[in-house]
Amino acid sequence: MLASQQGRRSTWDRWSGMLFVAPYLLLFVLMLVVPLVIGFRLSLTRGDLFGIREEVGFANYGRLFADPVFIQVIWNTLYFVVLTVPAFAVLGLLLALALNQQSRWAAVLRAIFFASTVLSVTVVTLIWRLVLLPEQGLAAVLANAIGAEPVAFLSSQATAMPAIAVTTIWWGIGLPMVLFLAALQQVPRDLYEAAALDGASRWRTLRSITLPSIKRTMVLVIIVEIILQFQLFGQAQLLTNGGPNNSTRPIVLFIYEAGWKQWQLGYAAAAAQILFAMIAIAAMAQYYVSSRRDAA
Amino acid sequence: MAGVELSGVSKRFGDVSVIDNVSLEIAQGEFVVFLGPSGCGKSTLLRLVAGLEQLDEGAILIDGNRVDNLPPGKRDVAMVFQHYALYPHMTVRDNLAFGLRNTGVSEDEIGGRIATAVEKLEIGDFLQRRPGQLSGGQKQRVAIARAIVKQPKLFLFDEPLSNLDAALRARTRIELAQLHQQLRTTMIFVTHDQVEAMTLADRIVVINERRIEQIGTPMEVYRRPATSFVASFVGTPKINLVPVTAANAGGLAAARMPDGTLLETTIPWDEALARDGATLGLRPENVRITGATQGQAPATARVVERLGERTIVYAALADGTLLTTEDRGDSTVQPGDEVGLAIDGNAAHLFAADGTGHHAGAA
Amino acid sequence: MSSAAVRRVPRAAVIGVTMAAGLMVLPMLWVLILSLKDSSALMADTTTAFSPPWTLVNYANIVGDGQVAVWLLNSTIVSLLMTGGVLFLSSLAGYGFARLEFPGRNILFIVVLFGLAIPEQAVIIGRHQLFAAAEMHNTYTALVMPGLSAPFGVFLMTQYFRAIPREIDEAAMLDGASRFRVFWRVLLPLTVPAQATLGIFTFFHAWNDYWWPLISATNRDMLTLTVGIAASQQNFAQAEGLGFLMAQAVFAGLPVLIIYVIFQKYIVRAVAGAAGQ
Repeated sequence: MLASQQGRRSTWDRWSGMLFVAPYLLLFVLMLVVPLVIGFRLSLTRGDLFGIREEVGFANYGRLFADPVFIQVIWNTLYFVVLTVPAFAVLGLLLALALNQQSRWAAVLRAIFFASTVLSVTVVTLIWRLVLLPEQGLAAVLANAIGAEPVAFLSSQATAMPAIAVTTIWWGIGLPMVLFLAALQQVPRDLYEAAALDGASRWRTLRSITLPSIKRTMVLVIIVEIILQFQLFGQAQLLTNGGPNNSTRPIVLFIYEAGWKQWQLGYAAAAAQILFAMIAIAAMAQYYVSSRRDAA
Repeated sequence: MAGVELSGVSKRFGDVSVIDNVSLEIAQGEFVVFLGPSGCGKSTLLRLVAGLEQLDEGAILIDGNRVDNLPPGKRDVAMVFQHYALYPHMTVRDNLAFGLRNTGVSEDEIGGRIATAVEKLEIGDFLQRRPGQLSGGQKQRVAIARAIVKQPKLFLFDEPLSNLDAALRARTRIELAQLHQQLRTTMIFVTHDQVEAMTLADRIVVINERRIEQIGTPMEVYRRPATSFVASFVGTPKINLVPVTAANAGGLAAARMPDGTLLETTIPWDEALARDGATLGLRPENVRITGATQGQAPATARVVERLGERTIVYAALADGTLLTTEDRGDSTVQPGDEVGLAIDGNAAHLFAADGTGHHAGAA
Repeated sequence: MSSAAVRRVPRAAVIGVTMAAGLMVLPMLWVLILSLKDSSALMADTTTAFSPPWTLVNYANIVGDGQVAVWLLNSTIVSLLMTGGVLFLSSLAGYGFARLEFPGRNILFIVVLFGLAIPEQAVIIGRHQLFAAAEMHNTYTALVMPGLSAPFGVFLMTQYFRAIPREIDEAAMLDGASRFRVFWRVLLPLTVPAQATLGIFTFFHAWNDYWWPLISATNRDMLTLTVGIAASQQNFAQAEGLGFLMAQAVFAGLPVLIIYVIFQKYIVRAVAGAAGQ
């Protein structure tokens, strides 16, 4: 009798732990796994507004790569990544180096540089719309003040994407800064003391001690920012809506419009799968970098 | 009736055996120390008794009742952990009360028990503080108090002194001994420190590589080590273990040391000692420094450590074999001096090739 | 400290970053003063904002306009529900993954970790279909549920529970506490710092979420503040006027900034943690 009782209890013991994770797993399946599968299935179909679907295999993918707009949005997205990611890495590092000190003033400045990060994309674009407004925006007012010609940043093909990039950098500079700051705090203090005893100059200390110590963070920041900026959406949608002449239309905006303006869900889903693949590659690189950090 | 009884206890983690068929009886009120090097399985054995690990084979009885199927909270045991394991977010008082509330002890009773424990361990000043605000020694006292208030049938200690500094460790050791005298409850204490084992234990269980090497009083373990492992693990400075050839000299064993010295002992001869060579065990206090021409063996002093009340001399025999020896506190021996070694053959140990100990006097 | 000489930042750099900080703040100040100006005055020339008269009429209009208040309420409800839900689910799951043994535990945890790499774009169409099939768009449930599946909280809480010494659980078990009581009375209170970090992070995330509420909430009364502001922004040309729009921006941005100033430490930690995992 004792044995059977023990047997029953151990079955309960084996499975009862599942109760704690089950609620989350249910949501995980329902809101992540199932939609992922639906999205992939959908990318193999063609449907119209009335919901009539037909299986088309990988035809949507073929169409995408033959679609000059899609090719352009990929280039636009890459262009945006090239504009923003190096700037995030360099500016973030410079800010972190300058603000990695205990003074009250440095704390205030750190808070200021991070503050815009907590705003929503809609508030950020509203602010920058009023900065970039032709004639009446802050940029125009400042240009007038120094006697320069105001520029209609958002309606010119040459300046629209850089303007979105500047808006994005203003919005997101806090993240690379705090990541670099965290890394700088990890550099053992005795390394600096040893360098000081060796009579190393400030420049030499930076090059031989600080930068090598935060190399992995640099890689991490670049990958994280690539993943984030690949997903450009709200800024482009709200500031230029992809214009002028599709020059600022990123992949996500393409997906959004294919899906919810033209109701070509299969087509949108296929584009989403391609974006997912690109991001997955970057995410794998990130995983590789951060697991190497653990091993070191 | 035995306080605690282990019979045929085995434990595996996956394919790795950590406890192999261990049987042991602990008397009611006895203070037993599990002594062994780290990784020998002594902590696992304690955790099996506590119920923190499930055994694979065998049985565990406390006060005659089988407990190995019971969860830890129902075994009526209390444990003091190596890192104290106080609940960081509760005050000291709530730490003490938590276990009693779980088992439905009335608040009046809880108050009374805490008052007693507080008096015994002098922790009244910080009852309302949290563990983070206490020093290591204070945390230790609270951890012990938390065990006491439960009035368990059995106390378990898992290396509780290893995080204290040397002075505090010595003091707490004495207090634990006093506590045991007052409470007279069965206690099991796990340590790798042979001084703690020698000073606290009624009986020591020496454990090595998943099994028990020897069970005995501290003096038995010291004087009659069952194996060469026990001999080398207990005693500071460490016992000298010298490979020898043993021979029968009229019913007693004689040992030929590497430098050729023949040491006569009072150890009864056993044929096991002749097979595959034996090992001679000599405690440093049984190898004394004498004048250069005296004693059984000539040697050269290599390193001299003056401890005050005695002097430890590391001396090399003619063939280079290094022995740890003792001299008086006011010894004038200098490194490089030629000395003689007076070896007490009556106190020597011989270990057969399988490690089994042979000692002078009745078996 | 002794290494001060090495660690001191050159004065030129301090002046440089201070000026850069000025550039960060300038757009916000610009919006702030525009919001304090009557819209008709701004129509003619925005530089009038540099001189009086200033007015609070735009803010009065926002308060008078019930729409913005509804959005604010929606955002508050959605953000609080999501925060509570994430804390509840992540705490349970984190404890389960960190402390309990059950078949498939490690594989399930790895699957959840893989979830970290799934971007919103890959699942948003499927989610939209699901809620459409259930006819649940334009409900709080639809706005909250997708956010509850984010694996970050589970990951964070699992790590945090793992960092608590097992001795603490064991002491509680020896103290006769049931498994649930160990979780509820002993371990959960110890995770308060992680709960704070995760809670604030989730709240901000929910508050600022844009794409999902944009497509799920199409009924004007179900918009969140973030989406609502986008809606008025897109009617920019015929909008109620610059001043009104700017007052909306301040109205939406200022509370978030104030919460940020109060909980700065946790927010920075959470954001850095979410990016660095």
